[in-house]
Amino acid sequence: METRLANSFRLTVNEKKFIETALQSDLRIDGRRPFDFRNISIKFSREEGSAEVQLGQTHVMAFVTAQLTQPYKDRPNEGTLSMFTEFSPMADPSFEPGRPSEAAVELGRVIDRGLRESRAVDTESLCVLSGKSVWAVRVDLHILDNGGNLVDAANIAALAALLTFRRPECSLGGEDGQQVIVHPPEVREPLPLIIHHLPIAVTFAFFSNESTVVVDPTHYEEAVMGGRMTATLNANNDICAIQKAGGEGVLQSVIMQCLRIAGQKAYDITTKIKNAVESYNTERALRKIKRHPSAVALDISGAGVNIGKNQNKPLKGDSERSNLTSEKSVTDQSMDIEGEAKSSEQQQTNKIDGVSKNFIGGPSSWNDNAK
Amino acid sequence: MENKPTSSPTSFVDQSVVPGDVVLDLSNMTNQTLKLGGGLRQDCDAISVMKAGKLRFSNPNKYWVESSQKRYVPHAGDSVLGIVVDSKADNFLVDIKGPGLALLPVLAFEGGTRRNIPKFEIGTLLYVRVVKANPGMNPELSCTDASGKAAEFGQLKDGYMFESSTGLSRMLLSSPTCPVLDALGKKLSFETAVGLNGRVWVNASSPSTVIVVANAIMNSESLSGVQQRIMVEKLIQNLKLST
Repeated sequence: METRLANSFRLTVNEKKFIETALQSDLRIDGRRPFDFRNISIKFSREEGSAEVQLGQTHVMAFVTAQLTQPYKDRPNEGTLSMFTEFSPMADPSFEPGRPSEAAVELGRVIDRGLRESRAVDTESLCVLSGKSVWAVRVDLHILDNGGNLVDAANIAALAALLTFRRPECSLGGEDGQQVIVHPPEVREPLPLIIHHLPIAVTFAFFSNESTVVVDPTHYEEAVMGGRMTATLNANNDICAIQKAGGEGVLQSVIMQCLRIAGQKAYDITTKIKNAVESYNTERALRKIKRHPSAVALDISGAGVNIGKNQNKPLKGDSERSNLTSEKSVTDQSMDIEGEAKSSEQQQTNKIDGVSKNFIGGPSSWNDNAK
Repeated sequence: MENKPTSSPTSFVDQSVVPGDVVLDLSNMTNQTLKLGGGLRQDCDAISVMKAGKLRFSNPNKYWVESSQKRYVPHAGDSVLGIVVDSKADNFLVDIKGPGLALLPVLAFEGGTRRNIPKFEIGTLLYVRVVKANPGMNPELSCTDASGKAAEFGQLKDGYMFESSTGLSRMLLSSPTCPVLDALGKKLSFETAVGLNGRVWVNASSPSTVIVVANAIMNSESLSGVQQRIMVEKLIQNLKLST
């Protein structure tokens, strides 16, 4: 019991007074202005459907997976979306492993409500066989570091992960057309989820001085604040959800001001998420093109013509390798000026050079050494 | 880890070392008495490193490894910043970022008697000295120095406290004055209390000064002297532009 007391986060009376005094002159302890968000960084990993978001010191990861299950009885045509949160004990000394705490349940609920009530994720497209088989999408949120304002960071992570998630394509087959065949990703390209709009959560913290409001509270500000409100909006200024659980009473004019500010922030964050997802998608598409092996080998001993030849024929590498081994004896004699090829890669490019010289003979004028 | 062929310790002093490095070979140094501090261990003739950090040497014969951590291990004689957690009949329970709570006797103040026991509420910030720190027992603190005078120990009022690593506290307390405090002190007036347990308290007349000083100190641990001065100049310029 004593060690637990020794490890938990402590707040001094000095800090509480100082944070409130500084807020009266519109200053926050990390130098931000009251309505500034911290820097958001969104990263993706090789696995599709996982996103890692850092909001200042707060660090959250989201993973999206999908499974075929039976639908709910009252909604036979719709897929399901469920959220699970895990507050890792390494994020904060007060997080304990085991049953989710009240804060964990509230976080999951707020993000879930923002996506479900506003119908941001199209669940009808997740139906495969009405009444029998639908996709159940599951979002797992892991809190890695608690630097304050977990709701906003987790929301961004969930949206980024949902936008980059791809589910396998499936079709109906079998004798009576009732069997569901799931196609593996190598056979058919997996499909993205249909997401109509992005609901962004913006959290406000209220302090005991009337009408002192800040956006995106840090860990210290959360310990000192008197109440908080989370407004979930999308970039079109539609309000998807509002959550104000207890805390101090707030004037109606303050709430309207907060909603206006939240609209601007939602627009900024939506653009950031969309840019990050787009750059990730282009990078992934480029990675797919580079998969053909002959485009990789570069011969340094030969002249620059090898590079040109390789770019001309990225796809024929596989089929040509069988031809090349038989022609090795022929080309070796003509290639001896270029030096003996030491590695197999160099041999391949020499062969390709020789083959293309015989067939295309295009830019061979660049190659002063051979012939 | 490979052995450095030379046995002269100057190749390792002030360098970063990791556990397993052999820094001294005693077979080459005869009839010398060495004092080994924390982080070093003697295996027959070789002195090897147990903790990752920088190897330090002080004349004539003291070697030790200095590392920077967020946890604090209490040692007698350290000045630390503690937060009052509870008050009992005889002691205050104070948190000093160590493995357990520390005890501050109710009478350990200058001129302290049973009649004028100070009333500290929960969350009070104190600047205290560690008197006893034995492993397995709760450390004992005092608000007086060794001769019984108050000497600036006691409650710290107002201001702002933040936590960082023990390495930063040592850097702030080193003499000559570390570059970040020097550069800040030339332009701004403020007071600080640095605890060896990684806590730093800053107070100034205006909140903006406190915020600038606190952020400058927090960012300065990994910067060199010149970089610290540049950072401080930039922060002060921003401060002057906004006021």
